[in-house]
Amino acid sequence: MKDYFGRMGRPLLKALAALVATCGAPAMAFAQQFEKVEGLPRQEIPAGPFVAAAYGFIWAAVLAYVFVIARGLARVERDLADLSRKLESAGGSRERAG
Amino acid sequence: MRSPMGSVERGSIAPRARSVGGGLTFALLAGLAGFLLVPSLILRAPIEPVMGFVQKIFYFHVPCAIMLFLSTFTCAGGSVAYLFKGSEKGDRLAVSAAELSVLFGACVLVSGPLWGRKAWGVWWQWDARLTSSLLLVLMMIGYLIARRYAGPAGRKLAAALSLFAAVNVPLVYKSVDIWRTVHPQTTVVPKLDPQMRPAFWSAFALMALVWGVLLAARYRLENARAALAVAELELDDLLEAP
Repeated sequence: MKDYFGRMGRPLLKALAALVATCGAPAMAFAQQFEKVEGLPRQEIPAGPFVAAAYGFIWAAVLAYVFVIARGLARVERDLADLSRKLESAGGSRERAG
Repeated sequence: MRSPMGSVERGSIAPRARSVGGGLTFALLAGLAGFLLVPSLILRAPIEPVMGFVQKIFYFHVPCAIMLFLSTFTCAGGSVAYLFKGSEKGDRLAVSAAELSVLFGACVLVSGPLWGRKAWGVWWQWDARLTSSLLLVLMMIGYLIARRYAGPAGRKLAAALSLFAAVNVPLVYKSVDIWRTVHPQTTVVPKLDPQMRPAFWSAFALMALVWGVLLAARYRLENARAALAVAELELDDLLEAP
């Protein structure tokens, strides 16, 4: 078991050392190479899409809610019309029976 | 047997239900007018020098927040009437206003981070104003969930929850003055530049109009549902009568 880890461990250690050397070297190089650069344009996120998204969401939400209410009203009106017909027919049949 | 929707006078079914559509037409017209007029006023308002164009979100973000507060207070008022006087109308008003709280709360919680991403560089900050606003909206969502899924006691449980939400509203409003936050303070609107005021107040008037019409339409829908429940009982009575 110990031999197995010894055999497998050495190549793994070598690979890890190579990885550290590869990744670490450029990072140190970057860290030591901060320089002042003049004349670069300022990086700005454009505001237009944010404003458009905010207004778009608000109006979409309001319209969606109007749609939900309208659908609910239509369903209730339909059910009420059905019930009214049933009430009239039930009342009519009772009058005939009476 | 008592109606699950509460007491509605019998025989008043159809006329109420048929009159519910007018408010929605008005809401659509008001929304259309606002969609055309208010953005033009907002575009003509001066650009804020620090934040730039993204500050235009303010003209709808703040009115939506005020409508969120108003809806929560209305919900709490209706809940008080229901809890202490047994008013079914109060309960119907409360559930209508609770839905509007969630609607306008969603608008605040979406438009705010869009503004913050540009102005602060991040979508969200766990500061006092943002966190308390999120809690308020979650409480109102909790109100609707309790009504729907908490069984027979759900309406009373939800009504009690709405009172806690209403207590949270002043805390949300004053949070920016009490704690240090990245959010602008409550002095922004009173000290607004005179050239920005027409855009802000017109947007506020539009939102208030939309809020009022939506509340009226939703309240009428709740009344129509109650009338439907009564009509079903009437039919059952007729069919079961010997």
